[in-house]
Parts: sequence; C-alpha cells; structure tokens
Amino acid sequence: MTRGNRILLSCIYWAFVLYVFVPLMLMILMGFKDSKFIGFPIKSWTLDWYLGVFADAEVVSTLTYSVVIAVLSTLISVVVGTWIAVLLEGRKFLGRAAIFGLTILPALVPGIISAIAFRIYARLLGIEPGMGAIIWAHAVHNVPFVALVVMARLSTLPKSQIEAARDLGADPIIAFLRITFPYLIPAILGASIFCLLLSFDDFVRSFFLGGYEPTLPVLIFAKLRSGMSPEINAIATVALVLTAAIGIWAERFTRRANKDTNP
Amino acid sequence: MSNDTTTRTKSAGVAPEKSDRTFWWWLSVWTPYTALMKLVTTSPRRQFVILAAFPILWVLTQHLGPMLQMLRVSLIDAYPVAPGVEQHFTLDNYARFFGERIFWQPFFRTLIFAGTLTFCTLILTFPVAYFLARHVSRKNQLLMLLLLLIPFWVGEIVRTYAIMILLGNTGAVNLVLKWFGLIDRPIPFMYTSFSMGIGIVYLTALYMLLPLYSALEKLPKSYGEAAADLGAGAWTRFRRVTLPLTLEGISSGCTLVFLISTGFYATPVLLGGPSTTVFSETIAGFFHVAGDEWPTGAAFATIMFVTAMLLTGIFQKLMYVLRKGDTK
Repeated sequence: MTRGNRILLSCIYWAFVLYVFVPLMLMILMGFKDSKFIGFPIKSWTLDWYLGVFADAEVVSTLTYSVVIAVLSTLISVVVGTWIAVLLEGRKFLGRAAIFGLTILPALVPGIISAIAFRIYARLLGIEPGMGAIIWAHAVHNVPFVALVVMARLSTLPKSQIEAARDLGADPIIAFLRITFPYLIPAILGASIFCLLLSFDDFVRSFFLGGYEPTLPVLIFAKLRSGMSPEINAIATVALVLTAAIGIWAERFTRRANKDTNP
Repeated sequence: MSNDTTTRTKSAGVAPEKSDRTFWWWLSVWTPYTALMKLVTTSPRRQFVILAAFPILWVLTQHLGPMLQMLRVSLIDAYPVAPGVEQHFTLDNYARFFGERIFWQPFFRTLIFAGTLTFCTLILTFPVAYFLARHVSRKNQLLMLLLLLIPFWVGEIVRTYAIMILLGNTGAVNLVLKWFGLIDRPIPFMYTSFSMGIGIVYLTALYMLLPLYSALEKLPKSYGEAAADLGAGAWTRFRRVTLPLTLEGISSGCTLVFLISTGFYATPVLLGGPSTTVFSETIAGFFHVAGDEWPTGAAFATIMFVTAMLLTGIFQKLMYVLRKGDTK
C-alpha cells in the first residue's frame, strides 16, 4: 500500500518535472531550426540564430540596458529594504504593524495594478517614462523582498553581541557596521540576487513605464506580437541561460553561507 | 592632538598600539564623525527619530503614494488637468464599469479564471509537495526542490513563449498526438482558455509548491503513524490529520497564486484569444491611448484591487476559522 503510494507519487513528481522542463527544452531546441517557421518536425539544423543574437546590435544594447536597470534598482532596494528591516525587527513602537503592512504592500499588489499605479504616480512626480521610471518602479517593487529576507536573518542575531560591542565603547553606527552588517551579508546578497532576477525578468512594469528603448522581456514581447521566429528562441534562450545560471549560483551560494554561520 | 586623545579614550576604552590602529579606530577619532555621533546619540528618542524617519517617509510616499494617487485619479473627471480648467469630483468612472458588458464580463471572467486556476494548481502541486516532504531523504529533498526551482528563475515572457511552442498547431503536443495516430488534424490549443490556463499554472505553480512543502515538511511523521495505529485508513489519515495541519500552507499558497494570476498581462495577451479577454487587458487598454481615459483605467484598477483584496481576505479568514475549529 505505502509502496504503491510512493511509486505513484514519484511518478507525479517526475511528470511535474517534465511539465516544467519540457517547454523550455523545446524552446531551446527550436532555436537550432534551419527555417524561418516555428514548428515541428525539425528537418535541418543551424547555429545561425544563436550566433546572430550576439551580432545583433539591438539585442546587445537591450541586454545591457536591462542589466543596468537591474543593478541600479537592486542597489536602491537593498539599501532601503535593509534600513526598513533594521527599524522593524525587534523594536516595538506605535504604528509598527502599519509600517510593516505598508512595507509588504508592493509585493501583494497584482502585477498590472502595480504597473498602472506606478505609471500614474510617475506622472505626478514628473518622472518621464524611460530608464529612470523603470529603475524607480523596480526598486519600490523589490523593497518588500529585501526587507523580509533581512528581517528573518536579523531575528537570529544574538542581541548579546550588540550589547557587548556597545559596552566596549562602540557607538550605534560602528556597532551596526562591525557587528550587524557583517552578520547580514549573506541575507543581503541573497536578496540582491533575487531582486536582480525579478528586475531582469519583469515585463509589466517595464512595459508601462518604459520609453522607446525596450528592456529584454519587452523586446521579446514586441517581436512575438509580430510573429514567432527562431530568432526569438535564440534571444529568449540567452535570457534563460543568464537567469538560470545566476539563480543556481545564488542557491548554492546562500546555502553555503547559511552552513557557515549556522553549523 | 590632546583633543583626539580624550575622544579616543572615551570611545575605544583603551588606546590601541600604533600598529593596531585600524580604519575603525581612525573613524572613531575623526572629528566630524564624533561631532555627528554626539548629535545623534544625545537621546534615545532622537536616535529613534533618525532611524525611523527615512523608512516611514519611504513607505508612505513610495508604497502607499502610488495607490492613493490611483484612487484620487479614479475619482476626478479628467486627468491630466488642463490648465485653467477646474477638476471635478465624480463617480462616473466607476459607473462606466457596470454600464457596459465589455467591461464587467472580463472582470468576472478573470475572477472565475483565477479561482479555478488556483484550485487546479493546488491539486497539481499537493502530491508533488507531499512526495518531496514525505518520501524523499533529507539530502535529496533540497536537490529535487532545486531541480524544480531552476525553470522558475526564468522570466514570465520567456516561459509564456515556451508554452506557445509547446501548444501551437505545429507544436510538440500536436506532433506527439499525430505520431500515435490519435489525430489527423492538429487540435487548436492556442488562443483558448486552455492554453491560457496551462501558461498561468506554469508561471504560478512554484508559489503554491513552496508554502505547501514547508507546511508538510514541518508536520511530524509520527502523527500519521499514530493515526494509523488507532486504525485510521489512508484516506481518513489524509483528511483528518494531514489536511487540517497543512491548512496554513494551503491558505498562503492559494492567496499568493490568486493575487498573482489576476495580475498577469502579457501571458493572456500572448496565449489567449478574443473570447478570453481578461480584466488586465481591459485596464491596460485605457493606458495605451494618450491619457484622457486614465481616470477610467484607474477606477477599474481600483475595483480590481479592492475585489482581489476582499476575496483573499475573506478566504484567509475562512481558512483561519476552519483551522481553529479543527484543532479544538
């Protein structure tokens, strides 16, 4: 009975693995098709589409644009999110619950509504659609994730360490920089990578706040609206490889960092 | 120099040997810094204000601000306001929603669709989470979970495109079906609610899987064994032990998936057809034009947000009651 159950469940697991992997595999494969038309069967193969990606100036500049946006918005999110976390964790004050609720609000608002609200607010603030607006929207949207991750880490910091530092004469800023901050580094790095990926993959905010220059997901979307082609497969595969590689690296990195500090 | 010495002994306690003078030591005796510290640390109250001012300002202006401005724009008759024209408070933008079928139909379609997909995702991922938490050794658990995480690092657009290739008329599914001789002509999967559903479940499954997994993982195996010893069958064990104790995970997974799936824009545009228009497409329509329809778009977005929040709030409350009722 249990044995049968186990086999059935493991079949479901592997079927699920297929469900999440096969579409992406097919997409990568289709980029090697030597024809303009997407579809099976693939009769002859070519590397041209993949080589073409790196020769295409538009794709390369879009890729750079997306990476710059991801890095800058992540820097803002990390600073703000950490600051909020330090304020909220382990402190009781009037309105703390309200501040916490507002902190996670951007993560709860469904994508399209968040994009629309940012679009309207950007006009109020006088931010023109374009790079600045996208960076701002991504930064605000990612703050909750940083705050939550850093708060979780901060709650495990022994209070006695800070007290010891203060007793030995460190002022609050030095105590933060020498005790709290180094302790938070794994969480901050993990959160940064998460933000980088969120920003790099984001479509809806980039679409509604972007100017004429597209980010990578917006470029793929625009190309898809005018028809599928193996060229898009190649571009999408580059985005896929980049994000998956960063994701896997981050996963390993954070696990190792956690092992180092909580043996 | 004498001035420095007094500061040093005060802040560092013991003056270090010359070779031990680190960056931190130099910082603690640097006059502008000590002046700053004196200003900051005079009272705990001032210290708190300095720490709290920026985060509070940020969440009010950046997190709450956009939502409030959206609400405000939804209540005025024209935006942006032309110079010299007075703006008027109005509820017309909300009234428009109820007036026309092309507006409220996508709205209810979205809610039903998101609800159904949430349920499907739950049914689909529960056995996967259960298998990972119960039948896999601790060491393999992380590896097998990581295997599932990899595709989820990839963005929304790329994964939507992958589904387009899978389900197209010359796609992989139709090819396989044809090989087995099950069909002569390709089945038009694309641009239907089916393709949209497959795509959205593909995008949201992880947000269900992770809360379920962590709830199941916390549940001690001995509970099930105890129930079995007392004569409970597999189904009873699942219904009376596993399910009630994982309600918290189910509740947060469903809330996340519901909220996320109501907010998709690109996926319905790419995978859906004219008969599956969802509300996010309706809202977006008001923002493609020059801007005179922004108040209506803002009103519609507000309706959507309030409804989604109310529904998930009620759902969470129900789950909470259910949980408390069961543990009594």
